[in-house]
Amino acid sequence: MSGYQHRVAGKRLNRLDGIGKVTGKHVYAADFALPGMLFGKILRSSEPHARIRRLDVAKARALPGVRTVLTASDIPAIRFGTAIKDRSVFADGVVRFRGEAIAAVAATSLEIAEAAVRAIEIEYEPLPAVFDPEEALTSGAPLVHAGWSDYQALPVFDREGNVSGRAELGGGDVEAGFAQSYRIYEHRFTTQHVHPGYTEPRSAIASWDGNGDVIVWCNTQLPFDMKNMLAEVLDLPASKVRVIVPGIGGGFGGKLRVGVEHFAAWLARASKRPVKVMTTSEEELTDAYPRQPTIVTLRTGVSRDGLLLARQGRVLLDCGAYANSGPATAAIALQVLAGPYRTPHLAFESVAVYTNKGSTGSFRAPAGPMANFAVESQMDLIADNLGIDPLEFRLRNVYREGDKGPAGETLTSVSIEECLRKAADAIGWHDRRPAHGRGKGIACSWWLTTGGSSGVYVKINPDGSVTLVSGAVELGSGAITGAAQILAEELGVDLADVNVAEVDTHSSPYDYGAQGSRTAFSVGNACIAAAKDLRRQIGELMAAQWQVPIDSVRLEEKSVISGDKRMSLAEVASLSQRSGGGLISHGTAIQPMPVFDPSKVKNHPLPAWTSHSFHAHAVDLSVDQVTGEVSIHRYVVAQDVGYAINPTYIEGQIEGGVAQGIGQTLSEEIVYDQGRVMNANLTDYKMPTTMDMPRVECILVEKPGVNGPYGAKGVGEPPCIQPPAAIANAIAVASGVRVCSLPITAEKIALERLDRAAD
Amino acid sequence: MSRQPLDLTINGESYQLMVEPHWSLLQVLRRELGMTGTKENCLEAECGVCTVLLDGKAVNSCILLAEQARGRSIVTIEGLGDPEHLHPLQRAFIDHGAVQCGYCIPGMILTAKSFLDECRGHVPSEAEVREALSGTLCRCTGYQKIVEAVIAAARQLNSWPEEAGRAS
Repeated sequence: MSGYQHRVAGKRLNRLDGIGKVTGKHVYAADFALPGMLFGKILRSSEPHARIRRLDVAKARALPGVRTVLTASDIPAIRFGTAIKDRSVFADGVVRFRGEAIAAVAATSLEIAEAAVRAIEIEYEPLPAVFDPEEALTSGAPLVHAGWSDYQALPVFDREGNVSGRAELGGGDVEAGFAQSYRIYEHRFTTQHVHPGYTEPRSAIASWDGNGDVIVWCNTQLPFDMKNMLAEVLDLPASKVRVIVPGIGGGFGGKLRVGVEHFAAWLARASKRPVKVMTTSEEELTDAYPRQPTIVTLRTGVSRDGLLLARQGRVLLDCGAYANSGPATAAIALQVLAGPYRTPHLAFESVAVYTNKGSTGSFRAPAGPMANFAVESQMDLIADNLGIDPLEFRLRNVYREGDKGPAGETLTSVSIEECLRKAADAIGWHDRRPAHGRGKGIACSWWLTTGGSSGVYVKINPDGSVTLVSGAVELGSGAITGAAQILAEELGVDLADVNVAEVDTHSSPYDYGAQGSRTAFSVGNACIAAAKDLRRQIGELMAAQWQVPIDSVRLEEKSVISGDKRMSLAEVASLSQRSGGGLISHGTAIQPMPVFDPSKVKNHPLPAWTSHSFHAHAVDLSVDQVTGEVSIHRYVVAQDVGYAINPTYIEGQIEGGVAQGIGQTLSEEIVYDQGRVMNANLTDYKMPTTMDMPRVECILVEKPGVNGPYGAKGVGEPPCIQPPAAIANAIAVASGVRVCSLPITAEKIALERLDRAAD
Repeated sequence: MSRQPLDLTINGESYQLMVEPHWSLLQVLRRELGMTGTKENCLEAECGVCTVLLDGKAVNSCILLAEQARGRSIVTIEGLGDPEHLHPLQRAFIDHGAVQCGYCIPGMILTAKSFLDECRGHVPSEAEVREALSGTLCRCTGYQKIVEAVIAAARQLNSWPEEAGRAS
């Protein structure tokens, strides 16, 4: 696009859904209601692992106002799941975590539904349970799924007993690498359960129509995946399931999979009434899709001059009772562990295990913060030991343009050095210990822009407005406004001329969904394709109308022009409707898969990354020398976004992602004790407030990528990857205490200092 | 339980309702009146998305009985401004990129409104704004653009220049 000034793309324009959101008119799934709807509630297990010996719903059914009560015996025994079909709608005779659904009630009010849940009688026979992921690997450990080998699963996953998936990534000869090494370092890092923390609970209303189709209004990030999964759970052809997303109050990867929709659909079918099911905070913190806890061990050999020679590592990831995305998340951790560093000899292994705890999922940059915390903490530990500045140590080892990635793929648009230098300069790296108890830390990473296809329909209307129909929901990131900016740019209209249709799987074109930092990227590319086709249609129409050559027809300033002939875009759209059905196009996009070396991966569902991005974070903080309390003074992010489609909302993604990262680093943890969540409420699950957040200084690096619209790269997930490592590194400088387990609470720092004083 | 009559004044209009005594104001607004601009989440006054103004002060409507609002003035986000006549806070939230998913935004704006009304003539500092908004959780924005929007709205709402405001 050299020499071409964009009119709409790249500008700080206001989002298209802003006015509805500030006036309370924007309707979210949680706000949605239908006349005559019932309210659904779920009976959940009070045991972490037990056989259900008796389940009696008679008293619940008899309560006035109760319309239906369902248990596993009332619906077909169908197992579903992302990687492994290991889960059922209601516990299949055995409960595997405390909080698992056993029965569901629909009643005329929430109060009656709650009373009915309490009236259900249940007796359990406790079974031996396993909570610790390392213990789950031992030979005598209780099996979470006694029938694991009968489950259907994606063939890529290597499974056995409590292991739901094992993958490998590596190359070279790691033992030879260690043999050549000047020093070898070995460390162990642990990370915790973290909830995505969307402010809108998961919510669904289901209603069955006269054709036997079910319509589900819900706040899913993946309407098409939801449609297919519901069809499976309901034992229906997918064409009988229609998913509509009215509005969604945050997701962060926590609203990818079936959560309440299947309960609503089954209850609505049984009661022949619309049914709404919405989660409580307690349900969110006991049965949702939080970030998985991990144990990461990392062994690294380096040369005398600070070059990485060999790395061996294992990511042990605790899926909880059902695998969901755990095996894939564990595998993706291996790329995070490898990059962004050249390492001749690599041998990484991921192991995802079942335990008797709540299920987990794909919270923003799944695997990112866990693996990055390990590798970037260790980079500082090694640098300190070698007496090399941590920034310098990183710069000696980072990827360069044209290097091979961990799976042998060729890396292009590599900007890690620029990101590191800019973040370090901004934080004032030359002065890493500005005062007693104060220190600066840095961490860097890389991440992918998830693939999958996008389709859009674009119409130009006779009033000159443009309608964008996409199957991708606007999660809040502004991604759809970004895609609309690209569309407006390509069609020569203003952003305000574009309206965006609601996502409805019956009428919207397919989209892989609002996940994986891909929405603006992929929908934007589809918009470029749709606009190209519209320009072709306009060219053909007006060339015939004006009797001029097609290539003389051009689109400019909302007009179609050829020589001295000119017609407004609105009139052209009207002419097209009168003469041939109107201006409408279907644009599609999919990223090409990079070429990789299959010998470097084993059982890995995502061997090489598409449209990777690079980023560095730097932080300046103080640690209270008595209490261990951390105060962040400044936080800098230098992120390569390729091309900033709308800098305002990119900054918003970075500021918000850092907030989530700071929460994971310092305060957030779903605390389990013997399978029981000890803090299932927002008083004790501590997300950052305005008082906990520093200002975040954003440096947008724009090194264009090959595949994105105007060179854009995925933006949304990366900002939450580095905060744990950057902050841990700064804490080590400020306090002398190195904490290798998340969250790094004040208590851990203070205790570590006391332990040290006692030694 | 039986319903009792309750008259409420919401956004300047009076409503004659029949409510059960244990119903929260939030429940009455959302379920009985369909006024879903006031949001629902934790139901224990931790997240702040249900904030409304009661006689001008920000309160969590999830833990306030509807009965407690009898005879008092309730303002919800629907009463603050409409798309054609946005309140300066609503305008500032849009113009500063402070809105992402938007679910916390009605509560955040009403909390800010209550706070700025208390500021009476001085433009608050960033620290003061952060303290005032600390009861409302936002998971999208990291709060930065929200804080900037509130300060910008305060400047606009305030007839006094910033320096004079500080001096007072």
